[in-house]
Amino acid sequence: MRLFLFLLLSSILLAKTEQKNDSTLFDNITYRGDIDWITQSYLIAPADKNPDNITTAANLEATYKKNNLRIHTKVRLQQDLNDLESGAKDTHRSYARIDELYSQYEYDNGQALIGKSLRFWGALEVRNIADVFNPYDLRADPFEKRKLGVINAEYTRYTETGELSFIVQLYEQARDMSAYPYVYYYFPKDIKYSKDLKTQSGQYRPNIYVKYSDSLDSEYALDYTIIFQNGYDSQRYYTTHLTVNNEIETNEHAYLVNKFITYDTLVIGATLYKLEAIFTDVLNNDEISDYTHIGLGLEHTIPQIYEEADLGLLAEYYKYTTLENSKRNDLQLFEVFQNDLFLGLRYTLNKGDDSSIIGGGIFDLDYSEEVYYFEYNTRIADTYKIKFDYRYIEPSKNRPTVFNLMGRHQRISLKVGYYF
Amino acid sequence: MLKIFILIFFSINLFAITNQEVANRCETVMKGFKSSQAEMQMTLINANKQRRTRDMSMMTLESNSGNKSLMTFLSPADVKGTKFLNHEHLNRDDDQWLYLPALKRVKRIASSSKSGSFMGSEFSYEDLSSFNPKKYIFKGDAKIGMLNSKKVYIGERIPKSKNSGYTKEISYVDTKNFLIQKVDYYDRKHELLKTATFDKYKKISGKWRVAQMTMVNHQNHKKTILKWSNEKIKLHLRQKDFNKRVLKK
Repeated sequence: MRLFLFLLLSSILLAKTEQKNDSTLFDNITYRGDIDWITQSYLIAPADKNPDNITTAANLEATYKKNNLRIHTKVRLQQDLNDLESGAKDTHRSYARIDELYSQYEYDNGQALIGKSLRFWGALEVRNIADVFNPYDLRADPFEKRKLGVINAEYTRYTETGELSFIVQLYEQARDMSAYPYVYYYFPKDIKYSKDLKTQSGQYRPNIYVKYSDSLDSEYALDYTIIFQNGYDSQRYYTTHLTVNNEIETNEHAYLVNKFITYDTLVIGATLYKLEAIFTDVLNNDEISDYTHIGLGLEHTIPQIYEEADLGLLAEYYKYTTLENSKRNDLQLFEVFQNDLFLGLRYTLNKGDDSSIIGGGIFDLDYSEEVYYFEYNTRIADTYKIKFDYRYIEPSKNRPTVFNLMGRHQRISLKVGYYF
Repeated sequence: MLKIFILIFFSINLFAITNQEVANRCETVMKGFKSSQAEMQMTLINANKQRRTRDMSMMTLESNSGNKSLMTFLSPADVKGTKFLNHEHLNRDDDQWLYLPALKRVKRIASSSKSGSFMGSEFSYEDLSSFNPKKYIFKGDAKIGMLNSKKVYIGERIPKSKNSGYTKEISYVDTKNFLIQKVDYYDRKHELLKTATFDKYKKISGKWRVAQMTMVNHQNHKKTILKWSNEKIKLHLRQKDFNKRVLKK
């Protein structure tokens, strides 16, 4: 908290220093945001869990930009209506949170950043194996891929066409999880999640990243990124214990790794070929094995398949492998994409309302699980976005996968967003 | 009689100009802005005359090997901050990236679908790329005709790219200043698909720049008007201002 206040005050001070007399502070601020109303109804839901939920959320972003200085903040507010009826229906999904607050300074051949920020690392569409920087929010709908901001400092040096970054994550944060009645609570009802994060070397042990990105400007265009990480792994494991009140409690554990990451996109004609891969060398941990995770994908677009509409064909394959059999396996680590194939379609209407339809299936080749989904996105009156989505999950019948623990379910969801 | 015929024959040939020469002159007239920065407003008009507007800002860097441009979307609100970076190439597909601010994601785009609609408008990506004669095949001499009381060269050009959405384009070029006034685009079935009208040009720092153009689609009866405003040129923009990394700034 002290570090956060320090960052906030530093940002204001930097902004004041950059300010000239001929303009006010507010002249250089831009903002954007949205207020969303999301209703989800589970046609098939696990017993005892809430059969529906209505969530109101707001995302507010403001950016101050003056000369080479940029200060950015992003705040998210969320209220699940079930939480207003405290008691058995409480999902623990209501909060106000600062996701980003950072200062960024641009030099002639580089840039520096300090503060809380979100980053995206990846190339694939369904699961981004390489996107390890920010932890995923366990109170969000898992299909939204919402992430938590991370306090870090970065220095980037630009090369002619690429960039080399040194990033230090300053604090390993614990994360909240939704409570049992929410469909996407992953543990049985009698196991309570404790936010107390267990770490191998303390929460202030820094995470270090060295990242290099570049593009090859040849007949076949290639964007590539390689990253080395030393610090806490984005994969976590859980243990349970009895509390003094005789309740079963589970904790998240963070362990140290050396990690090698790459994500790349190759363009040949109308097809994108994508790769995300990691090799993780786990440092001194009896529970967790070294592992590899590879994702391969392709995206081919057929333009103007009907009038102005384009059709995108998507295929992705994921393989997760632990390298030591005596340690926890993919099931015990809740890894969903351990041997999975995704096949999907994206139909973009190319109309003024930016309507699109996305649909597909994810097939687990080891545990006979199937996930089907369909999304329709459109815009109304230039300020409202509508998203309708349908999902069906058929979990494994005899293996304790994440979907098996959550239970079979079918849901429809409608999101109406007001943007400003 | 023979003398008159010979005189007319030589006169015609003396003043004849090939389509290639017209195109080269068009390029010369528009070339030399070095770099530019402008605000753009795109108005989409559907067959029922309903209007929607889109606002953008755009930076362009002129280059002999293909221009580079960075477009930032300002409205509608849900796409505010989305950026589109394009590196044009004369002999291969352009390099294109899209930045999605909500996800902080830079996404590579396969640019081979040049004929695809740009932001739901009647403009395709290839309509918005810079005019360069090397992208076309020209044959024969330009014809002379009239367009809105202006004397114009009328000529045919055929896109070289196999990914072009057009089989033929007919351009109408002002004979006085070599500014393109109109282009008719023919689709893959060789039918008239669209007409671009260059409604307004502005001279900025001694260079002609397009200030407004309208694209009418004859097949779906939709129309898009594109207006440039507050344009500045020769801004000393550099190659590095159009690197992929600028998308995240």
